[in-house]
Amino acid sequence: MKTVEKVVNPVRRAGEQSPGKIYDEKLKVRARREWRGVKDTFYDYTRWLYLMSVLGRFIIVPRNVKGFFRYRWMMSYLFVPHGMDKFTVGLRDEALRIAHTSFNFVIADVTQAIANCFRGDRRVGNDKAYSDKCVITDENSMVTFMMGFDKEKVHTILREVPTMFASNIFHQFNVMHYLDVAQQNGIPGDVCPMPEAEAGISIDDDFCVLGCCAVQNNTTCDGSLMGNGIIAKRLEREYGIPTFQLATPLRHKEPDVMDYAANEIKKAISFVEEHTGEKWDWDMYFAAAKRVNYATKCRIAQMEINSTPYPQFFGAAFSLYNDTNYMGNSGRDPQFLKIDRKLLDLAERGYKAKRMYAKEYRHRAIVWGVQPQYVIDMLYWLVQCWGVMPLTDMLSVINTDMIAEEDTPENREQAYRDMAMLNMEMIMRNHTHGGFKVLVDDLWELCEQMNADIVMMWEHMSCKALTGMHGQFEEQARERGIHIMWVSHDLCDPRVFTRQAIRDQVNSYMRTVMREEPLDPSLEIIPDNEAY
Amino acid sequence: MCKCKLFNVLLKVLLRLLAVVLGFFVVTFTVYFFNLDMKATALLAPWLEKWYDHLEHNQYL
Amino acid sequence: MRDLKYLQYFEDLLQQANNALITQAKADGKVIAAYTCENVPEPLLNLDRAVSIRLSAPNTGSIDIATYYMTNLLCEPSRALLERAIEGGFNFADCVITPDGCTMMNRCVENMELLKTMGKDNPNFFHEYMEIAFKNTEDDVDLAVLQCANHVLTPLREKYGIDISDAAIRKAVDEHNRVCRVIRAISEFRKEEHPRLTGYEFHVLCLATYVCPKYLIIDKLEETLEEIRTREPDDKPWRARVLVVGSETDDSGFIKLIEEQGAFVCCDRFCFGSYPGRVPIELNDTEDALRQVCRHYITHCHCPRMMSMDKVYGRKKYVADLAKEYRADGVIYQQVKFCDPWAYERMLGSSMLHQDYGFPVLSVDRPYNVSSSVGQLRTRVQAFVESIEIKKIQRGENA
Repeated sequence: MKTVEKVVNPVRRAGEQSPGKIYDEKLKVRARREWRGVKDTFYDYTRWLYLMSVLGRFIIVPRNVKGFFRYRWMMSYLFVPHGMDKFTVGLRDEALRIAHTSFNFVIADVTQAIANCFRGDRRVGNDKAYSDKCVITDENSMVTFMMGFDKEKVHTILREVPTMFASNIFHQFNVMHYLDVAQQNGIPGDVCPMPEAEAGISIDDDFCVLGCCAVQNNTTCDGSLMGNGIIAKRLEREYGIPTFQLATPLRHKEPDVMDYAANEIKKAISFVEEHTGEKWDWDMYFAAAKRVNYATKCRIAQMEINSTPYPQFFGAAFSLYNDTNYMGNSGRDPQFLKIDRKLLDLAERGYKAKRMYAKEYRHRAIVWGVQPQYVIDMLYWLVQCWGVMPLTDMLSVINTDMIAEEDTPENREQAYRDMAMLNMEMIMRNHTHGGFKVLVDDLWELCEQMNADIVMMWEHMSCKALTGMHGQFEEQARERGIHIMWVSHDLCDPRVFTRQAIRDQVNSYMRTVMREEPLDPSLEIIPDNEAY
Repeated sequence: MCKCKLFNVLLKVLLRLLAVVLGFFVVTFTVYFFNLDMKATALLAPWLEKWYDHLEHNQYL
Repeated sequence: MRDLKYLQYFEDLLQQANNALITQAKADGKVIAAYTCENVPEPLLNLDRAVSIRLSAPNTGSIDIATYYMTNLLCEPSRALLERAIEGGFNFADCVITPDGCTMMNRCVENMELLKTMGKDNPNFFHEYMEIAFKNTEDDVDLAVLQCANHVLTPLREKYGIDISDAAIRKAVDEHNRVCRVIRAISEFRKEEHPRLTGYEFHVLCLATYVCPKYLIIDKLEETLEEIRTREPDDKPWRARVLVVGSETDDSGFIKLIEEQGAFVCCDRFCFGSYPGRVPIELNDTEDALRQVCRHYITHCHCPRMMSMDKVYGRKKYVADLAKEYRADGVIYQQVKFCDPWAYERMLGSSMLHQDYGFPVLSVDRPYNVSSSVGQLRTRVQAFVESIEIKKIQRGENA
């Protein structure tokens, strides 16, 4: 079997050594926050103050209070600081700053998204003039088709992000209600819980109702495609909001789908123009394209750092920041540039100082498959409990090609193809669709490139594209001498696999197959199954 | 005398400001470190759940 | 009713994937083009010497090996097909052409390819995967034409020298339509007050047209049609007439189970069924045949993976129209377990058919091989039939 050189941290971590033992089972939250030494605790405290100020500024707006009491999913956002703590477990120095810089920005972005939703929502803010310039899109959708619209004039509302995706990160149980609604209405329990929950939210009338139109996409899976019909029916028939289905080919590596994909992008743009009354602006588009390329360069640089013995930007913050930047933003917001730069500076500084975030790194892992929303701190736990460094995850392995960024007549035509390419290769579907090569073969290439000896394979029970290749992963990993550690979960339904049940799969693998003892035994069992 | 008075006033203001800042720090840091914000939220959550449960929703398929 | 002369013959053909007629076709020098999804334009697999065979796995028992490869979370048809392929049950195939229609069937065929389950002694053997349309637009027709050209016609010509000319396509469509017209004509008898064939018999005949070389069964189908014309129906009335809708049904035992409870399956709308799979393709002389065939498949496709809202609503209207045309008392929405597309479609369809069109609806999931869950399904169908009868009594009609 392949092995990698163990890297031992010569520096003892500042502050406490066992951050896992601070959960209060009764209260379902931590008994206290982590002591990280004076400097890092003070930094963490200032970021907590910042988050409080973000939440405070949100809740002083009366319509937001109204929205808070109208929508069940809003309860999750009371737990934002608790959620942020999940992203910083055991972190110090640059990694702590990277986690805060990236995820604080994501939180601010989501908070703004909720505020926008409430502003236009017919039940809450009912700002009709604003709503008439809003375009609703899917949670899991690339918004490339909005890159050429002035974001001050046309507002892209990723309605499902705050409602379902992000809310589940902060409160592990909050999606269960919507899953129950969907299943009471006849959707079986074996489909992916994410589109199922979104369908449940729609059936339960718990989405904000706003926008002059909606664009849906066949994003990641059959469930995602099929859930759209249920949501669109309500939008169209009850709320009179026209929907456009942006069809995105699945076999995205085949050149013979490109014309179709590009035409679909053109149609989506025309649809938005027709309903918002605003025109596509090529200056806007190419400015956004430059920012997309910059984000790509930064992501590649971060991956290069992670391929060394001293990875810096890792864990859930890495994938969720990429998710927000690559898909939800798609170059439209210049603020991301500043954050990208800052994150890269921090990572470079950490790399130069050879910073490590555990006592030792025994293994280097590629995390493949789809991460569970309700154990978002798992990768930080993995490195600190077992010394397995998660180098990158499937959701962060996305496009590395540059798109056309100069405004020329040829590039305008190319731009549709670039948008189509990005759309087809959106997060997750770039690996789960397009044939086994992008799912299986790409993984082994990545193991080589990142010098990984373990694959931690999230086996999301309802992700048929992943589980359909189970045997192939097993056999090919064996042939290549790479350890493959299966970790089952059910994405956002903690009733199927609890947090500890998920960790126990790693614990058993590391003890029985790898015959290793944990770096920090106190972390093996954490009483957080009932925690928010 | 005037200068001395002015100095005293300024000193008082500064000391008060310092006391406020220190007070703010002590209170917020205590809330932060002992996770009192989330503990209070956790106590509130069951009540909120009941609130959301009692809301009527127009279920539509 | 008197037994149909060829019923036993057709039933026997359905007992195994590699049936006697496939062996005969191979002996005749035919190229067997295997496929797995209704979205592949069937006539294009019947050009020249090529013969289409839709893969099925009758009498499926253990699917343990396929479950190792694909876990027990994928739908049973996809696992059953992989298991059969691993066992060598599809060794007759000279190629497998599959669209990326649903993820599970796509993974099934990819596993077949990676495990090299077929084509060991055939250097020309190939797997092809097609992108298929999502909507009913001319762009989708363009896409379908390109996909068929690249993934069906070109490989068939290059590997097996199949004639893919416009004339060959028209000839294949004529032969396809001949089968469709026979099935349609037989289907008409299902509209009768006292039908002269059962839903089970119809399904057996229809299923045979998918899994057997058509040129070897067409004469017997036509003879069966003539036989039905003069067949005397039973006097005993059915308790109810139902339309069965849903995911692929290549197990006639399911139809038999429904009819054993007194419900006549008067119409079908599922893969391997007659709607829309056996609707004749009308060609004109002005446009090239390939494009017209592709347009037919897109226009008539009622697969749930078609995502535009005209298709989403249209699928339910289509079912309602069929139910009216065939005078169905109720609709059975069935979904093979773990099938994502039909899981959602069943939910929305059963809701809309009831609320928007006023039909009583039974919504069930089922295993691939119905014999493994007879008791539960029988109880559900019995209750449904009784509920239809009660409604009839309440309306003052004869139950």
